[in-house]
Amino acid sequence: MPPSSAPSHSILIVEDNPGDIGLLRAAFQKIDPTIELVFAGDGIEALALLRRDHRPDLVLLDLNLPRMDGRELLALIKKDPLLRPIPVLVLTSSAAESDVRNVYDLQANGYLVKPDEYSGYLELARQTRQYWFSTIRLPTHSH
Amino acid sequence: MDPTPPTAREGLRHRPRQWQADMFRTVVEVSPNAMVMADAQGRIEFANARTEQMFGYGREELVGEPVEILVPERFRAAHPRYLRGYFEAPEQRAMGAGRDLYGRRRDGTEFPVEIGLNPLENGGERFVLSVIIDITARKEIESRLQASAAELARSNADLEQFAYAASHDLKEPLRMITGYLDMLTVEHGEALGPQAHDCVRHAVEGAARMRALIEGLLAYSRAGTRAPELGLVELELVLAEVRDNLASALAESEGELDADELPVVRADRTQMLQLFQNLVSNALKFRTAQPARVRIRASADGPFWRFEVADNGIGIEEPFRERVFGMFQRLHGGNRYPGSGIGLALCRRIVERHGGKIHAESSPEGGTRIVFLLPR
Ligand SMILES: Nc1ncnc2c1ncn2[C@@H]1O[C@H](COP(=O)(O)OP(=O)(O)OP(=O)(O)O)[C@@H](O)[C@H]1O
Ligand SMILES: [Mg+2]
Repeated sequence: MPPSSAPSHSILIVEDNPGDIGLLRAAFQKIDPTIELVFAGDGIEALALLRRDHRPDLVLLDLNLPRMDGRELLALIKKDPLLRPIPVLVLTSSAAESDVRNVYDLQANGYLVKPDEYSGYLELARQTRQYWFSTIRLPTHSH
Repeated sequence: MDPTPPTAREGLRHRPRQWQADMFRTVVEVSPNAMVMADAQGRIEFANARTEQMFGYGREELVGEPVEILVPERFRAAHPRYLRGYFEAPEQRAMGAGRDLYGRRRDGTEFPVEIGLNPLENGGERFVLSVIIDITARKEIESRLQASAAELARSNADLEQFAYAASHDLKEPLRMITGYLDMLTVEHGEALGPQAHDCVRHAVEGAARMRALIEGLLAYSRAGTRAPELGLVELELVLAEVRDNLASALAESEGELDADELPVVRADRTQMLQLFQNLVSNALKFRTAQPARVRIRASADGPFWRFEVADNGIGIEEPFRERVFGMFQRLHGGNRYPGSGIGLALCRRIVERHGGKIHAESSPEGGTRIVFLLPR
């Protein structure tokens, strides 16, 4: 089975800013078009998706969101025994130390600062794939 | 009687006794302050015209009464004790040092006063002369001043808060500009002609300047609104970080940075980094054609550490040495020396928030020397 047609990974991106969505979409598309991206514009929408049995391999979560913000959603995910195992990476423009401490207290699996440039997004997509999906991407044996 | 004319030094002493007494009475009468003389038992012996106006009593109502009649009821009980104390050690002094004093008018209303006490002796009898000043007007001015100082502090804080929020929120749209400009070059670079590339380059530069400005403003307002987070800071490590952050500027200017061994200070670490980084970055930036030489010195100076950051650059002319610490103050066009004019304003704010001082002078090498003190 060639890797390109293999059922790849899926990322739920919870982000309300169309600009950020565009940059993330372009970057992931370029780094690995097989990764499925699902977008939710706020915490409530994301939660509805997750509760409706959508099981992404990873959640990328912005903190400032309408209706239900990233912190609230994170807390709910980590309290839910079914959703809890899904790794959540917080993605935000704030690099303030208090914010970092805060999301780790809420059991985020990682913290990423939004890049200023597209190149930074490419790097982010590359690293995300490599670090979070690499274990399942072992080279396939071909005889 | 006395043939020789009086000298100035003798003053009134050559006048007849009666004349002196009359004169004394006149002076007391026209005094803008209330004057009340009481005996050792605290009975009023005499009061001047101003006392009548100030307290609303006729003189005949006062004489013979205890002085407590002029004191608000709540202080009356304690007053005789103070009076006895005074006659045990009579001296010229202010009454009730450190306490707020009040007078009580005939109609029961009160007003703030200041009272000077003077011991008098006549014919073996002892008196105390109280000089009473109505300080209502002064108190009002004081409280108005306090109110406007508080108001000023509040509106300054509001402004800082606003600057902080604004600069923070400006970063978001700016990130979109830089993000998409970069995407344009990375993904569609080949499709762009040379003129389009030029446009993009200018836009990218503008955005970079704007980012520096926003970050400077953010750092500046943060240093103003938040109390420094004090901890023990190893300046040696801070300087190592500065070297790291400025590695490319150092290489590009063929710069050399050498420093004394730096002490450990009680300070806000982030702000120390900003302080040293801004000063070293200036020293590298404002250089002549010569390679930049930056020298950092540290020495104990009384209760302070004294630091110097000296360079061999273009220097700051004497008339501008204060001005450059103001917000947005720059001495050169942006082409030769890019910048936003926030660095030194931030440095001053940081140093002052730590209880120190900072100024600019010329360095022996002809460049600039920034000198600052931080508490030890
Ligand atoms: N070491 C120095 N030598 C010569 N001139 C200096 C030096 N440091 C500061 N100046 C002058 O003082 C001005 C203000 O300095 P400041 O660091 O506040 O602003 P800047 O460096 O121009 O911009 P920014 O620091 O915000 O990037 C500078 O523009 C420059 O004219
Ligand atoms: Mg500067």
